[in-house]
Amino acid sequence: MDLSLVTFAQILVAVLAIIGLMVANAVVMVYVERKAAGFIQRRPGPYEVGPWGTIQAICDSMKLLAKQIFVPANVDWVLFFLAPVLAFFPVLLLFLPIPFGPYLTGLAVPDGIVLILAFAGFGVLSNLFAGWASNNKYGLLGAARAVSQSVAYEIPLILALLAIIFQTGSLSLTEIVEAQGSYPWQWNILVQPLAFFIYLVSLVGETNRAPFDLPEAESELTAGFHTEYSGMGFALFFLSEYANMLLVSFVCATFFLGGYKGPFLDGIWWTFIKAYLIMFFIVWIRWTFPRVRFDQLLNINWKWLLPLGLINLWITAIIVKLLP
Amino acid sequence: MIRAIWDNLKGLYSLLVGMKITLIFLFSPQKTVHYPRKTVERENLITYRGPLELTRGKTDPAVTRCISCQMCVKACPGHCLTVVKNPEKSVKAPIEWKYDFTLCCLCGACVETCPTSALAFSHRIYLVARTREELIFDLLADLKARVEETPVLPGEEGASAEAAQG
Ligand code: SF4
Ligand code: SF4
Repeated sequence: MDLSLVTFAQILVAVLAIIGLMVANAVVMVYVERKAAGFIQRRPGPYEVGPWGTIQAICDSMKLLAKQIFVPANVDWVLFFLAPVLAFFPVLLLFLPIPFGPYLTGLAVPDGIVLILAFAGFGVLSNLFAGWASNNKYGLLGAARAVSQSVAYEIPLILALLAIIFQTGSLSLTEIVEAQGSYPWQWNILVQPLAFFIYLVSLVGETNRAPFDLPEAESELTAGFHTEYSGMGFALFFLSEYANMLLVSFVCATFFLGGYKGPFLDGIWWTFIKAYLIMFFIVWIRWTFPRVRFDQLLNINWKWLLPLGLINLWITAIIVKLLP
Repeated sequence: MIRAIWDNLKGLYSLLVGMKITLIFLFSPQKTVHYPRKTVERENLITYRGPLELTRGKTDPAVTRCISCQMCVKACPGHCLTVVKNPEKSVKAPIEWKYDFTLCCLCGACVETCPTSALAFSHRIYLVARTREELIFDLLADLKARVEETPVLPGEEGASAEAAQG
């Protein structure tokens, strides 16, 4: 693939659109999440700012923009400011290979999923930098947890995706969608229910969301790795957290739920409906389950998800080999 | 091994039960009272511990049951109560009953220790004060004012009528 002017313009437009999507997603999801939390606890959630509190999230982001960026003493300046940037920008790249619609892909690379999995590692790195650079015990503990958790959960996540890749015989996200049909019984979730379950659990662990939100456990670590960040630094971490959630939801929709294919009319709306259903699922379990302990977290991963993922992968490999 | 798998399956099932509960709650009506526009109804305030008040007397509601025994004053960890005995020995009722709400931690030691149940927590949830002095209550005056306002409590009409007959 030569990098012609057209490709360059395409990437530029895609990145701008993705930034828009990320910001809109964060604003909407913060509102949805707070509303859902409220309703689950039988209270109204944000209510006073704007009709039904709809502009609460926008006001909050304005406040974050206007806030002073406070730098504590003895921080590592370079890493301290690099971390939020490093958390935010690689996520832009991760959205590029996702097929939103039949013709709507930021950059249709043949090995899309490898790109996503490779660059997702930057998120962990930024957490580590943030915790290390802020010279704060809570930050450092949060960073240590973030690293061991993300490294652990990446493995079953990849194993689950590998099963689908074996079955489809392709690393391209578009081809994986094309291999599935338009109706729910033709989707990979029915062929690989175990892989879907493993992916669903590791997705929560990978994005550091409750009940696996140990790197940011408020009751133990104040805010974990971003304890010392204020203003825009915090906002960037926040944005990238929600963007990561959206990304894993899109990947899940693409791999297991038929991507942009759906009953009646294939199209971009199906991708978004499916991804946001998974987003809602993440929010829902956050307000249902208590946080697990760290040893439990790793036990779930190493003792259950990893062997299950391996068995699933072996069985898939054998079946794929025997039934050409 | 089989047992561990079975336990984990049971655990997964219990997770589903939890998710069902939160889903039901998501769609059930809310309990929040939007305060400035609405206020909490009386029956929901029964468990609310507001500042202390003196309970109504048994025969004459405006006369306190307090016998100036000073038990509550001694029990109070915040030293917020002042009960002044009547200098005349034959009258047990106090002549002054001061309560400093700024020091009170609402622990309930006074209510529990009172031998005549003369003390109780009020349900005054919408209490506002602009100065500290406003929070030092004269409970005898407060009891009088309350009895003047509602001579008979809504729930006790039948009981007092029976008492009058008997
Ligand atoms: S509730 Fe506790 S602190 Fe308050 S007056 Fe009674 S004994 Fe004192
Ligand atoms: S304990 Fe009861 S009776 Fe004794 S002084 Fe206090 S309020 Fe009066």
